[in-house]
Amino acid sequence: MSPLRCFLRTPEAVAGAILLAALIAMALSAALLFPGDPQAIAGPALLPPFQDWSLPLGTDRLGRDVLAELFHGARTSLAVGLAAAAAALAIGSVVGTLAGFAGGLVDEVLMRITDAFQTVPGFLLALAFVSVVGPSLGIVVIAIALGTWPGPARVARAEVLSIRERDYVAGARVIGMHPLAIAFREVLPNALPPVLAMSSVIVAAAILTEAALSFLGLGDPNRVTWGGMIAEGRAVLRTAPFLSIVPGIALVLTVLGVYLAGEGIVETTAVRRGLS
Amino acid sequence: MSLLTVSNLTKSYRCGSKTIAAVDDVSFHIDPGETLALAGPSGSGKSTIARLVLRLIEPDAGRIEFEGNDFLALSGAALRARRTRLQMVFQDPLAAFNPRATVARVLDDPLRIHGIAARAERPRRIAALLERVGLTADVAPRAIHEISGGQRQRVAIARAIATKPSLIVLDEAVSALDVSVRGQILELLLDLQRQERIAYVFISHDLGVVRAIAHRVVLLEGGQIAESGDARTVIDAPQSAIGKALVAAAPRLNRIRP
Repeated sequence: MSPLRCFLRTPEAVAGAILLAALIAMALSAALLFPGDPQAIAGPALLPPFQDWSLPLGTDRLGRDVLAELFHGARTSLAVGLAAAAAALAIGSVVGTLAGFAGGLVDEVLMRITDAFQTVPGFLLALAFVSVVGPSLGIVVIAIALGTWPGPARVARAEVLSIRERDYVAGARVIGMHPLAIAFREVLPNALPPVLAMSSVIVAAAILTEAALSFLGLGDPNRVTWGGMIAEGRAVLRTAPFLSIVPGIALVLTVLGVYLAGEGIVETTAVRRGLS
Repeated sequence: MSLLTVSNLTKSYRCGSKTIAAVDDVSFHIDPGETLALAGPSGSGKSTIARLVLRLIEPDAGRIEFEGNDFLALSGAALRARRTRLQMVFQDPLAAFNPRATVARVLDDPLRIHGIAARAERPRRIAALLERVGLTADVAPRAIHEISGGQRQRVAIARAIATKPSLIVLDEAVSALDVSVRGQILELLLDLQRQERIAYVFISHDLGVVRAIAHRVVLLEGGQIAESGDARTVIDAPQSAIGKALVAAAPRLNRIRP
């Protein structure tokens, strides 16, 4: 069975894929459907949703178009989520591979550093980092990755520890391959599947962390973010709850979509590996 | 002068509070173009010796002299360069290759690492290597897991001879193959030895095969040498207890048939 058909057989995966596709479509079409600055004033302040069809989701306290903000916010969430997860997986798998493959003192030092990062709550670390360095999209990505990489690093190391005893690693040494080439060409690619299986959870967590940072006013101030929108709506939570509810729902659906689609992919690859 | 001289090689492992000697004061030598068999029951230290000789593990004591140099003194780039002369073929040809590799990549690695052939020339060299071991060049783009066990072991031999070694350690290299393929692979090894004067350390528990292809044999038991000498002489009339036991255990069709 083709991987795509296998993937489409599970309803959760399909639901996740649809949600994710909708999110990506939102992020990609934001500049087309809502050209111009989403933070510009578009109408009267605090217009409720479904009143004026040129502003379908109404406006916020300053009269900004909520729907435009929602679309542009999708870009930030997706960009930060994917970039932070990619950075965390890259750092984690490199550190884990070096630690597991080198062993001895290198392993000891790298794993103690990993422990140090893991014992500090990830969100606190991100908070401290952004407050010190200053909020911008790149810094937020680094801040989130900083608290996330120990997980993949541990999984990669465990996998590398079993792979490094295999004959093909001995074979690579016998033909005179450099130890770093063995680590990154022979060992790392074979250690990746369980690390990649963590990616859906990591992306989902990164999106939530970004939203939480923005909620606390530590997101990039020049970009619309869903967390920032929720924070913005908090002041008028009693009179205009939709300002917090709309981006909140978007956030929930996004995290759900990423998680379900990711699990679907992992499931599909697991089945395929099981069959082969 | 001998090609490889191993003297007083010792390697022990710690298992809880006990120390187990895997290889205990083993000495032997191999001449160019010769086949020396290391035979013995499981756990007798055959594979440990192979891994020690290839510097995949480090000995506790002893000397290894290869092509007139102290092989244990080498490290880093000097060791990697010297590895071109000393190669190995593993027992399980599937486990011996990166599961993601293709035949071409497996053979490309040694040529690339040691600068044996320029990038443009390598495909031709790979095809030549494949033909040398009795395969055709069209297996080159295929994945390692797509070809048969016998073909895989031929690829392993092609990789081993890519760097023109003077010695190849064959660690149970034909044990995992079925009988008809085993004969073909042994023929190939003998042919290579005749033409390129490659010496073999042939590790096996099958005395029938040892008698057929080895010049000399070293029988091991519990990490120590029990008996050594001319392969036919030792196997036809073993003196040590373990030698007698191994010969008695070897299956012989003519004994079963009346």
